[in-house]
Amino acid sequence: MSDKMQNRDRLREETRRHFFSRCSMGVGSMALASLMADSAGAASAAEPMQPKTPHFPPKAKNVIFLFMAGGPSQLETFEYKPELTKRNGEPIPSSFVEGKRFAFMDSSHRSDLLGTTRSFRRYGKNGTWVSDLLPHTANIVDELTIVKTCKTDLFNHAPAKFFMNTGSGLFGRPSMGAWVTYGLGSECDDLPGFLVLQSGPRGPRGGAVLWGSGVLPTTYQGVPLRNQGDPILNLSTPESIEPAQQRAVVDAVRELNLKRLVETGDEEISTRINAYELAYRMQSSAPELMDTAGESAETLALYGIKDPNESSYARNCLLARRLVERGVRFIQLYHTNWDHHGGPTENLQKHLPEICKEIDQATAALVMDLKRRGLLDDTIVIWGGEFGRTPMGEVRENTGRNHHIDAFTMWFAGGGFKAGHVYGETDEFGFGAIENPVHVHDLHATILHQLGLDHNRLSVRFQGLDFRLTGVDPAHVVKDLLA
Amino acid sequence: MRSVRIRWSLAVSLMVIGCCAGSHGMVLQAASGEAGDFREAVDFNRDVRPILAENCYACHGFDEAAREADLRLDTFAGAIGRDGGNAAIVPGKPDESELVARILTDDADLRMPPVDSGKRLTDAQQQTLRRWVEQGAAYETHWAFVPPQAHEPPPVEGISHPIDRFIQARLAGEGITPSQRANSETLIRRVSLDLTGLPPTPAQIDAFVTAAAADPEAAYRELVERLLASPHYGERWALWWLDQARYADSNGYSIDAPRQIWAYRDWVVDAFNQDMPFDTFTIEQLAGDLLPSATERQRIATGFHRNTQINQEGGIDREQFRVDSVFDRVATTGTVWLGLTIGCAQCHDHKFDPISQVEYYQMFAFLNNQDEPSMKVYGRDGDAGEAEGDAEPLTTTLVLKERAQPRKTHVLIKGDFTRPGAEVTPGTPAVLHPLERPAERTDEPLDRLDLARWIVSPRNPLTARVIVNRLWQQHFGRGLVEIENDFGLQGSSPSHPELLDWLALEFVRQGWSIKAMQRLIVSSHTYQQTSRLRPELDEQDPENYLLARQRRLRLDAEIIRDASLVASGLLSPKLGGPPVYPPIPEGVMGQGQVKRAWKASVGEDRYRRGLYTFKFRATPPPALSVFDAPDGFSTCTRRLRSNTPLQALTLMNDPAHVQFATALEKIIVRDGLETAFRRCTSRTPTEDELAVLTQLDPLSAARTLLNLDETITRE
Repeated sequence: MSDKMQNRDRLREETRRHFFSRCSMGVGSMALASLMADSAGAASAAEPMQPKTPHFPPKAKNVIFLFMAGGPSQLETFEYKPELTKRNGEPIPSSFVEGKRFAFMDSSHRSDLLGTTRSFRRYGKNGTWVSDLLPHTANIVDELTIVKTCKTDLFNHAPAKFFMNTGSGLFGRPSMGAWVTYGLGSECDDLPGFLVLQSGPRGPRGGAVLWGSGVLPTTYQGVPLRNQGDPILNLSTPESIEPAQQRAVVDAVRELNLKRLVETGDEEISTRINAYELAYRMQSSAPELMDTAGESAETLALYGIKDPNESSYARNCLLARRLVERGVRFIQLYHTNWDHHGGPTENLQKHLPEICKEIDQATAALVMDLKRRGLLDDTIVIWGGEFGRTPMGEVRENTGRNHHIDAFTMWFAGGGFKAGHVYGETDEFGFGAIENPVHVHDLHATILHQLGLDHNRLSVRFQGLDFRLTGVDPAHVVKDLLA
Repeated sequence: MRSVRIRWSLAVSLMVIGCCAGSHGMVLQAASGEAGDFREAVDFNRDVRPILAENCYACHGFDEAAREADLRLDTFAGAIGRDGGNAAIVPGKPDESELVARILTDDADLRMPPVDSGKRLTDAQQQTLRRWVEQGAAYETHWAFVPPQAHEPPPVEGISHPIDRFIQARLAGEGITPSQRANSETLIRRVSLDLTGLPPTPAQIDAFVTAAAADPEAAYRELVERLLASPHYGERWALWWLDQARYADSNGYSIDAPRQIWAYRDWVVDAFNQDMPFDTFTIEQLAGDLLPSATERQRIATGFHRNTQINQEGGIDREQFRVDSVFDRVATTGTVWLGLTIGCAQCHDHKFDPISQVEYYQMFAFLNNQDEPSMKVYGRDGDAGEAEGDAEPLTTTLVLKERAQPRKTHVLIKGDFTRPGAEVTPGTPAVLHPLERPAERTDEPLDRLDLARWIVSPRNPLTARVIVNRLWQQHFGRGLVEIENDFGLQGSSPSHPELLDWLALEFVRQGWSIKAMQRLIVSSHTYQQTSRLRPELDEQDPENYLLARQRRLRLDAEIIRDASLVASGLLSPKLGGPPVYPPIPEGVMGQGQVKRAWKASVGEDRYRRGLYTFKFRATPPPALSVFDAPDGFSTCTRRLRSNTPLQALTLMNDPAHVQFATALEKIIVRDGLETAFRRCTSRTPTEDELAVLTQLDPLSAARTLLNLDETITRE
């Protein structure tokens, strides 16, 4: 007898027992879930978020991606370039820019070097340069792998965000979180496996497509945890419905679906029964996640959270830690707006310091909090945006920088990345890599590798092509970033 | 009692497996490209090509730039070295053939496919290739590039319907009997949902059950005719086509501003309701503006290729995104009409199919010559240009308009618009039928109209097959060719090749009538069978490729909404017009870069079919996208059917669904639980089922009914 038939036989037996005994919801759902997961292939059809075996033993289990939407300036934060400051106002040597294309080429883009006004100091065991804008981050450099030579392909916001998230500049490809949950499932059985948290004045350019599932089943798309109202869309029982009524409906739906399952033998119905049980569990687990009353005053102070009920980047960092504790596989935070072109609302003098202050303390707190709870080894924390900023200034009424794709800074912590490591070297202006450039696809390959996934094998066929996060051209795991 | 019945049927299935596994495993193995019975002749298209395409062609195929070791295995001349390259096969002599040695060797450095490719041949695949070489290594043209062949439906005693003769002859060969016809309640629900996307009312069910008891054939025939004539038929099937057209109501990318193109959507609804022949349907959409004295409606139809995204972000290079939209048009045309992944040749020669990069840009050249205006629509069917001076336009819509001076088209190196290579002129791939033009046009440059006519030429081996296969997919949950968007070398072989060809020829013979094909399909016994699982077939045909039964299918996103509206008595049957804004949960529209307004419609527009809900690409309506409504970024020729907790939360808690439940509650109070149950599932509840429901208050009973798996499924 095939596994499938055995499974169905057991399933029917189980559903009958379940039905007649009216056992409590939790036990029933666990039994059903374990029945569905008899083999890897069947598991993905019946219970798509069931944990799956990676391609090889992983170094990390979870990911927290702190996405600084808009493109943070590396030259005001991690890239100490005294030569740039010295030659402030001089035209950039033409050898740097010949044949290059930039955003806003016909209007505000210009080619004069712009030195920074920030002060830099060395921190940590290796004397890593960090500017005065990120004092808390500066204090944790011994935990970080700082990559100064990240390189992307696209210089407009939305396509570049797609590229950083999906490995393609086109709309509608599967995002990294979708790929990772597709490949690994999730350890958490009462929350979605891929959650997205947002802060800042507006949503990131590109919207929900950034955490979309593209050609993968929609099960794997990121679920936004909302700042207002229900944390998950349609999570709450409607106001007009009493809790007892909701419970009665969930029970009755299960009973009638079970009858139909027994009548038709269609395993899709058992998947739906599971889905309703998870939905019902989410109705209590998601509010419990959001309720930070149990967090100590010391912890809240560590993150710089004044009012735990007010939505903020800091609160999202705390929630990210709580999600990792619950086994949620992939957590992505978006914080806007880092697009400092200059001008009255987005310049380097006023707005960059403000946004750095918004994120600095909580970011460092998250890394330290994970570490002291023993969670950092299993969790990759990623900090960065879709691209960096040009060494040249822009012609706007206040100082700013244009989008820059040839070299920008990201950092990684935990998850088997080298602690206290700076990788890649750029030229005297921070324009391009002079050694060890790291393409976005290489970063993706490296992140997947730490999770036990081979980027070449994690693929799905659509329109005749094998889609993968790392695209068509060969991508490489950057072993030098890894402990 | 039930448990006894199930045990018994499993016992039977065990015996059946014991009897049949040895002689009948072959069919399914062959379908997956594996070897069959060793005594049988190896069939290149069925057995060999799938193995070569999957494992060899990437480095030894059509793409010269990627070719390794100067060896190609996609042609006989290449494989034996007659093309001047290296030889890998000596026909009839496996032991002298390098190919055989290299796939069998234990030396990891020599073994093919290479270890680092991640590909690996199974033992059965190795033996298939060896036997194929032994038997002479004959190559055949890929089945989909050979025009459909006329096959007489095989005789099956007592069976006259051609589809049933093809299906049942095959089943009989495997020793399987077809399933019984589904009962009348299931049938009317199935065919109503399939043809109109709306479930039947209790009165319609009663009438059909009564009529079918007297004369099942006549009653069903009459039912099908009524459904095909319903204006809701066009709405349902427009949905099918609009997925392929990647329709949405906004510009996409980060700004995602609203656009007006719903006149095109209404054109599609109307075309299905009028049963516009599919060749005309194709020509008007691809080149309606180029038809002699094109009418307003023919111009509206060109909206098909205006469903591309428009990037309005600051600082962009407009030419880059214009070229991207042409890329999308080439890929969409290839996928929708030809079932070919032409888009793969954008950056390099196609790795698997014989389409060169130059040929790709020849196709590109057809679609590179239009301006992309917004046109005022006056709603008259005369010449678009005539006497519109004093009339007020009804709306505007996006159309194609051929430029007087064609753009030059170049091969773009690696698909990069900043790296133009050689100039090309319009042309079609050499592997397909030649492009023929009427004598009076031979002097003019080729344009989109020539492309459209070439696509619907009866000599085209692909289009009719591709479209009938996609119709079949709608009615059975899977096409006769499972990979519905790739009829090329890496696709899947048809499960019933003769039936596919017969249907394709019949489609053309019947004047490309979609309704005629659907009438044919739904009138077959194969379609009308019950969808009950047959455990005794679990080993022999677990995935139901042989179609010994129908299949339960979850309804499409919009149809779930429609069915709930019908069940709760709220549906507005209004046809067409601007998209509407039914209530959505708060905060949904805040996710994109630009927060878009969503002012909920009032009155009956709150209760329109899902087809009419305004669709922003960046922030699609959540109750639809959660049930896998496509996003409109690229063509969708088959929807996923996911099954997730977020769907449960939507049906339980979404304000719109709560409103449906409140309306159904009133029906329960007025007409009773049984009627409400029938409105949701189209069948009468059992006593057990009623007992569960009677324990609940009417609102809870209504919510329960609208959440049942069965309510969002057709069986």
